[in-house]
Amino acid sequence: MLRLRLAPLRAAAVLAVGFVLLRVVYRVVFGGAGAGAGPLLLNLPQLRLDGPFSHITLLGPITLVGLGNAALSALPVAAVIVFFGLLNAVVNVQALFARGAGRGPLRAISRSLVIAWATFPALLESVRRVRVARALRGERSIASLLVPVFEQTIERALALAASMETRGFAAVRVIPGVCETPVLLADASLDFGADWHLDELNVTLEPGTLTVIVGATGSGKTSLLHSMSGLFQHFYDGTQHGRIDIAGADRALTLPRDTAGFVGLVAQNVRLGFAAESVHDEIGFALAVRNVAPTIVHARVLEVAARLQIVHLVDRSIDQLSAGEASLVAIAAALVNSPILLLVDEPLADLDTAARDRVCTVLGQLAHEAGVCVVIAEHNTREFDVIADAWLQIRRSRVHQLSSAEIQPKLVEIPVPKPADSPSWGRIPASFGSASGRAAAAPGATRSIATMPAKPLASIRRLSVRHRTDLAVDDVSFEVQAGDVIALRGSNGAGKSSLLRAIALPMAADTVIIAGHDVHSLKRRTRRQSVALVPENVDDLLFAITVAEECRRADRRLHLAQSARTGPEHGEPVTAALFAQLLGFDAITDAAHLLERHPRDLSTGERLCLVMAIQLAARPALLLVDEPTRGLDLAARALVSAALLTATDRTSAVLFATHDDDFSRGLATRTLRMEAGRLSSPIEVLS
Amino acid sequence: MTVLTRPRRSIRWTSWILGGGSVLAAAAFAWPFFVGAVPADAQVAVPIVAFALIPALIVALALTLDREMYTAKTVALLGVLSAVGAAVRIAGTGVGGVEAVFVLLILAGRVYGARFGFLLGLLTIAVSSLLWGGFGPWTPFQMFACGWVGAGAGLLPHWPKASPPTEPARSSTAQRWRLRWEIALLAAYGVVAAYAFGLMMNLWFWPFAVGSSTGISYTAGVGPGQNLASFVLYSLVTSTLTWDTVRAITTVVGIALVGPAVLAALRRAKLNPRSEKRSHRL
Repeated sequence: MLRLRLAPLRAAAVLAVGFVLLRVVYRVVFGGAGAGAGPLLLNLPQLRLDGPFSHITLLGPITLVGLGNAALSALPVAAVIVFFGLLNAVVNVQALFARGAGRGPLRAISRSLVIAWATFPALLESVRRVRVARALRGERSIASLLVPVFEQTIERALALAASMETRGFAAVRVIPGVCETPVLLADASLDFGADWHLDELNVTLEPGTLTVIVGATGSGKTSLLHSMSGLFQHFYDGTQHGRIDIAGADRALTLPRDTAGFVGLVAQNVRLGFAAESVHDEIGFALAVRNVAPTIVHARVLEVAARLQIVHLVDRSIDQLSAGEASLVAIAAALVNSPILLLVDEPLADLDTAARDRVCTVLGQLAHEAGVCVVIAEHNTREFDVIADAWLQIRRSRVHQLSSAEIQPKLVEIPVPKPADSPSWGRIPASFGSASGRAAAAPGATRSIATMPAKPLASIRRLSVRHRTDLAVDDVSFEVQAGDVIALRGSNGAGKSSLLRAIALPMAADTVIIAGHDVHSLKRRTRRQSVALVPENVDDLLFAITVAEECRRADRRLHLAQSARTGPEHGEPVTAALFAQLLGFDAITDAAHLLERHPRDLSTGERLCLVMAIQLAARPALLLVDEPTRGLDLAARALVSAALLTATDRTSAVLFATHDDDFSRGLATRTLRMEAGRLSSPIEVLS
Repeated sequence: MTVLTRPRRSIRWTSWILGGGSVLAAAAFAWPFFVGAVPADAQVAVPIVAFALIPALIVALALTLDREMYTAKTVALLGVLSAVGAAVRIAGTGVGGVEAVFVLLILAGRVYGARFGFLLGLLTIAVSSLLWGGFGPWTPFQMFACGWVGAGAGLLPHWPKASPPTEPARSSTAQRWRLRWEIALLAAYGVVAAYAFGLMMNLWFWPFAVGSSTGISYTAGVGPGQNLASFVLYSLVTSTLTWDTVRAITTVVGIALVGPAVLAALRRAKLNPRSEKRSHRL
């Protein structure tokens, strides 16, 4: 409750002094400083006001006693200010509020305050990220900073709300769960209006089994999972037909918060769903909101933590967890009520190999030793080959329940889908693998080669990036030739993203030279004509309310940059046309339905294409793309690889970072490999 | 039928409390003008009563609203938005009068309604005061004034319901006009709110700020007319011409720049506690 902070006291002292001075000024100006018999300091002429203000006289004589009286009269209020400053410096009011969260008549408001408190670090991080993104886009408007930060905040609020809802926040009734049939879907169907539907669902899941939901991105893995958690019906406004029973409770009528006693959920991005400040309170959240006695909560938290072997984390603050630790804490928080059914959404997405193994082992043990019915939505299926008992495969709006033996050959033989409507796809074999073939397809590139044959398009010279004390990129040098499509490969944390960002926004002079320009010395407007980066979090760059508006803004920014050199060329919508082209449409009008949408309603692949279009509109000599395939299924990956090839029409070279071997193999003319901040091997040329 | 009438009746009941509480609070803000009406012996107690009344009313209204807000989505949105508001407020303390926090209060109040706007105002001030260490007797007054700004935005009129769209092209043009009208309305409200906020905050603090024996001092003996004139001059000099004008401009510019996108983001989050409750019963 008590601690010492000097800042509030200092602020209060400044405020108090200011208050006293201000009152003296008031007395001087409004004719009150002439009282007393002391020596006259200054005799200012008196001004009498008119009309309703006739009782007021300005200025007048000033005496020392008068000034002293003014200052003295202000002292009581100044003392109050200092007193409260002292109180703020000593009492930890925030801790008082934290105690009220979850209990008492002000539980909603105190919980809001705790959430607000926990949001600050995320908010700062978000501002930092968006500032980089805004520099990448060449924007400086206030909206380009505030809107993405705000969108991320709302996204966090919704994730948090979903996580609180499934953990029984604000539940009013307690429903007992029946262990025999954790999940029963009978002639059920799900839909989100006209956009998406899943039909003829007939699924029964047994206790003590581990089931994995597989399917393409956007096929509805998460929606199917949430039809079991109840968020689909009661939180995301989806419609359910037919029957879905979860441990005996009718899902259509039972809110997620009322089944928190026997359904546990681990959401996709676990950090967004953390509602407490310490790991202990986070794990115990579902119990605390049910008003369970603190000693019992404590015992239960330790018990669950011991089972997952994370007792050493219990006393930590929630923002001091690594990605793997955060996943385990989220699993522990979902287990605290001993659920019959545990639902897990993409648990492996952000984890490295060691953490993946750990999480898989834990989930396997829960199913096969503790008898929990575990359901996982995941597109990294390889990790679950050994422990999965059954698979739910989503194909063309149907769900197929397959045993482990059935799924194995099927997963292997999935063909690479070919987008029929993509004209650029057909060009791949022709321009594949050789710089000359590609240069023929890209007239801009040919010209630049012809004029300066000896010089490389870009040279990276002794580039280093330091994050606090770690060297993220360590003395990297390489050259890029016109016509190159380079894959930058390496494991998570190798420094790929840091390298790309340092090339796009170099911190030091003479480290990045592109087409004869030192990128460091270029201005924001012209820099993107040399190099443009499509970052991993493409959403950070988007801030308009329709795709069309987003494209118009990009065009306007472009005209501003161009009018400085060649004079204005208004009229044709450059970015929108590029967007349509990248998606494989022949004309803008074919993409009209997408242009009317909110940018955040596009699919992941479409959004990536939108940001690529925005960045390509500036005709950068070198285009950098960070992890273009993250979270994409095969069809979306085909779309993105086609888009990358189309991109070569507008840029001389492309450098993309990926940890996906299959993706880079079919696309790159050269590969750079990165390890612990260094380029580990000399450039290998595929031909 | 019972499903539909029950929430409505409880809303009317809490509306009375909220309205009555606000009137009482307004009276407490305007305490300098009530002093003259009280017997001379009791006049010393008036500011003390006013200072005690405001925090008490905040607790009472917070208790009233707390039950209505007790859903996961509302609590989460209230939490993160008050964090944003507090961050904006603290970031703006160095830049005199550029109080962008009104932009958030007005936009959120507009989308999520008067009650949410009121609570967001309360919490934004509470969180920023906690963080910055600025808690004091002034905090409850700031909370109330900001709460009213948010609540007022929630009470603004809505565009009359358009007939169902026939052509997509025409409906999108209509939608654009509708958005422009809404932004203009909110910006106008922002100007009013910026000045009204300044006046309210001056009102209760004026006797303390100036002290006695100046031309614009609060004088207990004279009529309300002269005190009002003194107050108007004090207000003009201290805030209306300076801070409040800067605040009004900031608010208008802020609403024009980020308004459409923020409104869209808030609406996409679809906070609707009453319909949420209703839908699961039907």
